Amino acid sequence: MRRKRNRQKKTHKSIRGFLWILPSFLGVTVFYLLPYADVVRRSFFGAVDNRFVGLDNYKMVIENTAFRLAVKNTFLFTLLCIPILIFLALLCAVALYKSKYGGIIKSAFLMPMALPAVSVALVWRILFHSQGLLNHWLAVVGIVGSDWMNTGNAFWILLVSYIWKNLGYDIVLWLAGLAGISTNIYEAARVDGAGERQCFFYITLPNLKPSLYTITVLSFLNSFKVFREAYLVAGDYPHESIYMMQHLFNNWFRSFSFDKMAAAAVMESVVLLALILLLQKAWDSAS
Amino acid sequence: MKHKNIKRITGLLLALALAAASFSGCSGKGGGNGADSAGNTVDGANGESAGGDSGERAMGRFLEEEVDTGVVFGNIYDMKRLEDGTIRLIGADADNGSKGAWDSKDGGASWEQAYEFPKEIEDSGDGYSDYVVLSQDGQAACAYNRIGGDAITTELYLLDKDGKARKIPYELPKSEEHGDVANLMMGICFLGNEQILVQDISDIVYQVNTADGSVKHTYEFDGSGGTHQIYTAGSQMVVVTEAEVLLYNTESGEQLPAEETLQKCVTESGFIHAVDTTDAGESMYYLTSAGLYHYKFGGSLMEQMIDGEMNSLGAPAFYPIALAVLDEQNILVAANDENASSAMGISLLKFAYSAETPAKPDKELKVYSLYENRDLGQAISRFRKEHTDIYVNYQVAMSEENGMTLSDALKTLTTEIMAGKGPDVLVLDGMPVETYVEKGILKDISALLAGSEGNYFEDIIHAYQDKQGQICAVPARFKIPMIQAGSAWYTPGENFDSFTGKKDALAKLDAGAVIEKFWYTCGAAWRKDDGTLDETKITEFLTKLKNAYGEYDSSVEDNVHTSMGYAEEGANPRLEQIQKTSFSYGQFDLAFGRANVSIGLAGDFEYGMMNAVNEKLTDGDYGLMPGQAEHVFVPEMTLGISSKSAEPETAEEFVKFLLSPEGQKINQSGGFPVEKEVFTSCVDGHKYTEQSSMVMSAGAGISEDESLSYEMEPTPQDAIDKITNLAESLTAPAFRDDVIKETVAEQGMKVLKGEIQPQEATNAIMQAVNIYLAE
Repeated sequence: MRRKRNRQKKTHKSIRGFLWILPSFLGVTVFYLLPYADVVRRSFFGAVDNRFVGLDNYKMVIENTAFRLAVKNTFLFTLLCIPILIFLALLCAVALYKSKYGGIIKSAFLMPMALPAVSVALVWRILFHSQGLLNHWLAVVGIVGSDWMNTGNAFWILLVSYIWKNLGYDIVLWLAGLAGISTNIYEAARVDGAGERQCFFYITLPNLKPSLYTITVLSFLNSFKVFREAYLVAGDYPHESIYMMQHLFNNWFRSFSFDKMAAAAVMESVVLLALILLLQKAWDSAS
Repeated sequence: MKHKNIKRITGLLLALALAAASFSGCSGKGGGNGADSAGNTVDGANGESAGGDSGERAMGRFLEEEVDTGVVFGNIYDMKRLEDGTIRLIGADADNGSKGAWDSKDGGASWEQAYEFPKEIEDSGDGYSDYVVLSQDGQAACAYNRIGGDAITTELYLLDKDGKARKIPYELPKSEEHGDVANLMMGICFLGNEQILVQDISDIVYQVNTADGSVKHTYEFDGSGGTHQIYTAGSQMVVVTEAEVLLYNTESGEQLPAEETLQKCVTESGFIHAVDTTDAGESMYYLTSAGLYHYKFGGSLMEQMIDGEMNSLGAPAFYPIALAVLDEQNILVAANDENASSAMGISLLKFAYSAETPAKPDKELKVYSLYENRDLGQAISRFRKEHTDIYVNYQVAMSEENGMTLSDALKTLTTEIMAGKGPDVLVLDGMPVETYVEKGILKDISALLAGSEGNYFEDIIHAYQDKQGQICAVPARFKIPMIQAGSAWYTPGENFDSFTGKKDALAKLDAGAVIEKFWYTCGAAWRKDDGTLDETKITEFLTKLKNAYGEYDSSVEDNVHTSMGYAEEGANPRLEQIQKTSFSYGQFDLAFGRANVSIGLAGDFEYGMMNAVNEKLTDGDYGLMPGQAEHVFVPEMTLGISSKSAEPETAEEFVKFLLSPEGQKINQSGGFPVEKEVFTSCVDGHKYTEQSSMVMSAGAGISEDESLSYEMEPTPQDAIDKITNLAESLTAPAFRDDVIKETVAEQGMKVLKGEIQPQEATNAIMQAVNIYLAE
């Protein structure tokens, strides 16, 4: 009798829980899951005529050199900028955490986030144009400049810009992680004779592991937003080193290549999901 | 327990409310109501949009018809509904050149001449009447320019109802602003029946008494806002500029406070071309290119009575002269109208209200172009005239006002087409035609051309025919890349290698324009069979052009280029771009030695000008512009029908109309017609047949001494044959891909300016273009 009542209670609880998440779930279903299902369907059909083409769209996309270039650039960018960003942010966060002026400096780091992408793009144009400010300054000291955004330098400019813009955000996340570590642990370690370095490697770093997962995923997702600046500065067809996945999708949309877009989107989402799941699994097993 | 349930219910309701709110964003109907042009405008004549899904359809619309006056007017000066109900107009009979007044006592159905102008104001070697206006009681005032010695003086005459003339003892004071130049009347307007407002060359308005010529008030404006056009409504003077409407009390001579509603509506609907009032100035009717409006002074409502989009009022080449409101349901408009059936283009239109006609036609045809196309706008107006059951909704994606980029425009178009709300007919200029054909966006329209063999320039009309014989895009017009120069720089028929081998042949020309013009004649040769571009040919293109261009002179862009009526730099980038690539743009520079050649795209043929330039040169001649590709033409107004069109039959009818002789005759300088007979009529100068004494004198705008004079006469047969043969020889459509063109222009300009080497530019072009082509 009691077991039955317990089961009923459990059922009620789960129904109640379901009801609470229902609005959000409906929103996600209507705005994300159903469109995604439609994208998956479209990846097997023609762009405008809706003719079933099997895996042809996937084949076409994989053989497409623009797609390969975009994938290569996007991966390279992600692989380089995320470790650099996370590491730099951690260093800054640790330094700020100990500084009595941490609060003020933290706000300064957050400033780039408040700047609209359009303003940033305009400053870039003024700075990095072949007849821009940077070349003018270099000319003053006798160095010959370059058409920065139309050479391989564009990639590094984009990378530095991404780090500059997102550093503050990651610092804040790291600071939250640092604030969550109990001071008792540090005090106990110091009583046992641990120095600053040992405290950092044996207390701070292990305790920041849960934050690292969140920061990595967020930085990863933010890295896709760098397209805005690249697009605003160099348009639909930037230098090949900063030609990203979003450029390709943007241009495909313009030319009615919905078939290719759908196939590429499905492939990209599978890869992203796999990466996130792998990351999560790695964390779970580590903890 | 009781509270727990209340909490649960409240929570549930909140959750539902949240869910409902999150969906409400999707439920709104897009598109707005489309009317409300003046914010608080009441659209009196137009209700639901065509094909609207509202239950009850709004009825009532003004229908347009051309009035047959029985006279071919060379000009109409003014028209009024007189106090006794007679409609009177002052015009010039094109048959005998005489000017006079014509009356209609039956609402415009029949017309009789009331009088001819008396001798005092007849056009002759002694002078001519420039402006003539009517009063409500049938008097006419005439500003007569008398030619005496070296000067022209304007005299003011008053004609009574029967045409008896009397000189008003009034003389314009000397213009302080224009010094020694004689002051002339630039506009006159009746104020009641006893006063006339006279406007001089300095835009000063004098309120003159017709009886004794005394001046009651003088009005001066601050000079801002360009020309001031004057109208009257009762005792008020209405002064209109491009930007504002000023009201004056003519009793006191003082300016009245601005009326916000009137101001707002004029700002949104454009310049006022004609005004009339039926209630002694309590309210006024006025015409703009957006239609006919009615406004009660001091009110907050602006009533749009006729929507210009549905008739001739909105046509690009419709210039209203006078408006006469007979009653609330019958309106007469005299206009200079290129769509008029009259030989001289002066038409009298009657707009009659029909309560049984739907406010907007049942069928809606959406026509889309990236850039404004005047030829198309004019053609739409003529099509509307003949198809009152079809509402042609012309959408221009990129205008001066919206600042939209090409990329954004194309993305918006993609969204609309895929959502099933896209246009029916597309003008494909600037769009990736081949991609659209490949993706199945465009419908095969080859059936429309069936049976028309021989009527068109076949290679041009079939420019986009694929291997299966499908035609998804048809150019309705075309331009010819042409060159004109003296024999030292150009030999007719010479090829690209030979032409560019002459160092400095292209010297002193605008670097960007040179690249763009040669892009048309060379780009077509760059494409390889696999769809990629031939790198060697691009390098050759840049190297040879650089040789012909020589050293870059930075002062060139400021000094060269004529300025005869061309758009100011930066004022309208699209217009500027069209002008810079146009053939006629460089003819003055060539004639007066500022350039060695004139090159560009020719969309019309003015034999007189061509000949006058040739005569200034040593053995001057013209021909097809040399290029890496031969016999290239530039397709213009390329038409396609969307495969997702909601009105495919209507769309076909419209395209058919544009390709018909009637549609092809419309010429607003957008290119030569593809129909052969119409092409001939465009180049033969038949319009000058009876005007052989007229001499055209065109100034270069840089120096007052530089002007070319030539007789406006029909084109000689050998010149007609030459230009026709050139058109017949055209076989290759220019490569019209704006993405590649922009990349080439950007890099090519750097080469001509000596900033980079041709090979570097080629590498940059290939890098950017390869990604584009690979997509």
